[in-house]
Amino acid sequence: MIALRGLCVRTGTGHLAVRDVDLTIQAGQRLGVVGESGSGKTMLALSMMGMVPDGLQVEGQVLVDGHSIAAEDERAWRSHRARSVAMIFQEPMAALNPLVRVGDTIAEPLRRHLGLSRRDARARALNLLEETGIPQARRRLDQYPHELSGGQRQRVLIALALACDPQLLIADEPTTALDAQVALRITDLLVRLSQERRMGLLFISHDLAAVSRTTSDIMVMYGGDVVERGRTASVLSAPEHPYTRGLLAARPSLMTRSRRLPTIPGTVPQLNALAAGCRFAGRCARELPICASRRPPLSPTETGQAACHLLGAQA
Amino acid sequence: MSYFLARRIAGFLLTLFVVSIVVFAVMNVLPGDPALTILGLDSTEEARAALRGRLGLDEPVVQRYLAWIGGALHGDLGQSYSFDVPVSGLIAERLPLTLSLAVSGMALTIGLALTMGLTAAARHGRAGDWAIMLLSQLGIAVPAFWLSMLLVLLFAVKLRWLPPGGFPGWGDPVAAARSLVLPTVALALVQSAVLARVTRSAALEVMRQDFVRTARATGFAPRHVLWRHVLPNALVPIVTIVGLQFAGLVTGTIVIENVFYLPGLGRLLFQSIANRDLITVQALVMLFAAIVVTANFLVDIAYVVIDPRLRAQRA
Amino acid sequence: MTARLPANILIGAVLVALVAGAAVLSAVWTPYPYAAIDVANKFAAPSATHWLGTDQLGRDLVSQLMAAAGNSMTVAVVAVGIGCSVGTVLGLLAAARGGWVEEIIMRLSDLGFAFPALLFAIMLAAAFGPSLSMVVIAIAFINIPTFARVSRAAANQIWRREYVFAARAAGMSSFAISRDHVLPNIAAPVIVQATIEFAVAILVEAALSYLGLGAQPPAPSWGRMLAEAQTLMYLAPQLAIWPGMCIVTAVLGFGLLGDGLRDISDPRLARQRSA
Repeated sequence: MIALRGLCVRTGTGHLAVRDVDLTIQAGQRLGVVGESGSGKTMLALSMMGMVPDGLQVEGQVLVDGHSIAAEDERAWRSHRARSVAMIFQEPMAALNPLVRVGDTIAEPLRRHLGLSRRDARARALNLLEETGIPQARRRLDQYPHELSGGQRQRVLIALALACDPQLLIADEPTTALDAQVALRITDLLVRLSQERRMGLLFISHDLAAVSRTTSDIMVMYGGDVVERGRTASVLSAPEHPYTRGLLAARPSLMTRSRRLPTIPGTVPQLNALAAGCRFAGRCARELPICASRRPPLSPTETGQAACHLLGAQA
Repeated sequence: MSYFLARRIAGFLLTLFVVSIVVFAVMNVLPGDPALTILGLDSTEEARAALRGRLGLDEPVVQRYLAWIGGALHGDLGQSYSFDVPVSGLIAERLPLTLSLAVSGMALTIGLALTMGLTAAARHGRAGDWAIMLLSQLGIAVPAFWLSMLLVLLFAVKLRWLPPGGFPGWGDPVAAARSLVLPTVALALVQSAVLARVTRSAALEVMRQDFVRTARATGFAPRHVLWRHVLPNALVPIVTIVGLQFAGLVTGTIVIENVFYLPGLGRLLFQSIANRDLITVQALVMLFAAIVVTANFLVDIAYVVIDPRLRAQRA
Repeated sequence: MTARLPANILIGAVLVALVAGAAVLSAVWTPYPYAAIDVANKFAAPSATHWLGTDQLGRDLVSQLMAAAGNSMTVAVVAVGIGCSVGTVLGLLAAARGGWVEEIIMRLSDLGFAFPALLFAIMLAAAFGPSLSMVVIAIAFINIPTFARVSRAAANQIWRREYVFAARAAGMSSFAISRDHVLPNIAAPVIVQATIEFAVAILVEAALSYLGLGAQPPAPSWGRMLAEAQTLMYLAPQLAIWPGMCIVTAVLGFGLLGDGLRDISDPRLARQRSA
C-alpha cells in the first residue's frame, strides 16, 4: 500500500508545485490523475519514486507499507524503486538504453535486485515480455530498442517495470507518444496487469477517454492542487468542479466533431503567479469574489470530493 | 558493413601512402643533398659522393622512394648510418620499452579520465565538479616535460622513492617497473586532463536522456547507472578524443623518454637526429606517423562496434 | 545573458595581458640584459637586485623569463598568423567553390591529423637542422588544416544565408562574396580557434626548445631554461620552477580565453549550458 500524507513539492523559489495532497492506493486499485501540463501530476508521481529533480523540495510524508520514507534518504528510495513502486514514462522511444539488448535490459533488475542467475533472469525476462503480449517475445530478447516500434518499446518498459513485482505501477502519460490504436491496447494491458497481479496503478494522463477506460478512481489536479476526486465514472458523468467541467467540454467526441471545440480560456498560470486563493480563479467562468483570496477546501460532493467555493454557495 | 569497412580501409591505406610521400619528400628531397646533411658542411666532396653511392642517392627520386617503401613493407628499413646496423633491429630492440610506456600511460589516462569525468558529471555544479574541472584546466596547461621534472624533484630528489631516470633493463622486472612509474604518471596526468573534460560533458549530455531516468526508476545505484548506462552512451565522443590523443601520446612518449633518459624509440629518434642519421630518423618518423594514422582508423571502426544503431545504418 | 563577463574570459584575459605585457616590455626594457653573465653572482637567491635570483651563470632570472616571453609570443603570433591566414583562405575557397576543389582541400587537411605538430617539427629539424624558424614553419603548417576546417564549416553555413543569395542574385563574384560577406561572419570561430592554437603553439615551442630543437643558445626560451635546469636539479631545484610557471600562465591564459570566447560566440553551446 502506497500513501501520501499532506504532500507538497516546493520549488527553489518557494512556490508549491504540488500542494497538500493526501492519497492512498490499495492493492489492485486503479487511480487516474488528470490535469493539463503544469498541474503538478508528474511531480506528484516523481515524489512517490523519490525522484523529484534537484532543487525541488518534498514536504509531507510518502508512506510505503505504512513506513514513511524521507525524501532525501536516497538509499531507502533505491531499495523501494522497482520493488515497491515502478514507473513507466511518456516517451518509450527515449526511455530505453539504445545500446542494450531488450532482454538484457529486463534481466538487469532481475539479476541485481533479485539475484537471479543469467539463465534464470533471461527466462524470467521472456515470461515478462510474454505477459505484456508483445508479439514474438523470444525474438525481442536479442533485439535493440531501435528495432522495435513505439508500442513494442512501451511493452518492454512495462515488462521492465514489472520485473521486481511492484505493488504500484505509475504510468506517466504512457500513451501520449503512441498512435490511437496502439494506445488503446497499452491501456487495456495496464488494466489487465493491474487486475491479474493485484497491483496498484497510478495512471497519469490529460486524455479523459484513456482515463475513463483505464481507471476506477480519478483525481483532477490544477496548478498543484487536487480540485476534484471520486469514482471515475461518476466524476466524468457529473463533474462538480468548474475546471473538471471545462476539461470535459474541451474533450473531442464524435458528436462535436463538426463544431469548434470549446476551450478553457487562458493557460495554466506560472507557479509564481499563483495566489493564495483558488488557483483556478482568473480562468474560471463562475468566479466568486472569495475565490481570489481564499483557497477552497476539498469537501464532499455527491460523487466524491471537490475543492470549490461554489459547492458551499449552492448548499 | 563490408562496404563501409572497405571504404575505410581504402582511405586508411591512401592516407598512409600520402604520409609516406610527405615523410620521404621532407627527409630526402627537400634538404637537397642528404649526404651533406649527414656528413656536415666540413665533409669532402669525395666522401659525400661515396656516401651517395652507398645510400643509392644517385638513383632517380621515384626509384629511391619505391626502394624505401618496398623495403619497409618487407621489414627492411635500411641500414642505420650511425649505428651501422639494420634500422629494423634498432627499432625491435627499443620497441618494448616505448610500447610499455605508451600502453601503461594510455591505460592510466583512460582510468583517471573516466573516473574524474564521471565523478564530475555526477556532482554537476557542486564543489567536486568545480575542483575536478579546475584541476583538469591546469592539467591542460602544464607541459608534460615540466610536470616530469616536478615529479622527479619531489619523488626522486626529495623523497627518494623512485629513480629520477634511466632504465635498468628488463632483467630486473621490479626495477624496470619502478623506473617506468614516474614517466607513466607524467604522461597520464597531462593526457587525462582533456579526456576528463570530454568525458564529463559527454556524460552530462547523456544524463539528460530519458533512459537514465528509467535506470534510476529501476532502483539502480548511481554508480551502476553511471558506468553501465551513461558511460557506454557517452563513448562515441570519448573514443574520438582517445583516438586523437593517441597522437599526443606518441609525441608524449617521445618527449618523456628524453626527460627520463629511457632508451626507447623517442630517445632513439633524438640520438639519430644528433647523429644526423637521416635513415633512422626517416624510419622512425614514418613509424610514429603510421601509428597515429592507424589509431585514427581504429577509432572510425570503433564507432560501429560501440553503437548498434550505426551498425544498422552502415550495413 | 548578463553583462558580466564569464570568469574564464576574465582570468584568461588577465593572464594573457600579463604574459603579453612582459613580452612587449622585454623588447625595450629588462632589469638586466638577459644574456649578461655574472659568474661571481651565480645561483643568487631572490633579492631586491635580482627579484627571482640568478642561474648557474649568474644571469638574471626575471630578465631571461621576460625575454623568453617575447620569444614565445613571437613564435606563436607568426606561426598561428601564417597558419590562420593560409588555412582560412583555403577554407573560404573550399566553401566558395565546393565540388572537387572542396574535396581536395579537405582530404589534404585530413593529412594534418597524421602529423602531430611536435612530430612534424622534429622531422623538419632533422632534415634542415634545429632552429626557431623550423619551429615556426612546423607550427604554421600544422595549423593550416585546422583553420581550413573551421573556416570551411563556418563559411558553408554563411553561404546558405539569404543575404548571400541576394548578393549572388545581384551578380557579385564568389570572391567578392567571400571577402565582403563570408569572411566577416566567420571571424568569430576563427578568432576563437586562433586563441586556442596560441596556447598549443606556446606548448609546442617550449617542448621543442626543451628538446634542443627550437631556440638555440643564447636565445632565451622557457623550454631551453628548463632543459638547463634539469641538469642542475639536485643543485638548484628552484631554477626548474619559474620557467614552468610562465608556460602554465601563458597556456592557461590563452586556453581560458579561448574557451570563454567560444562559449559566448556559440549560442548553441550557451543554450546547452543553461538547459
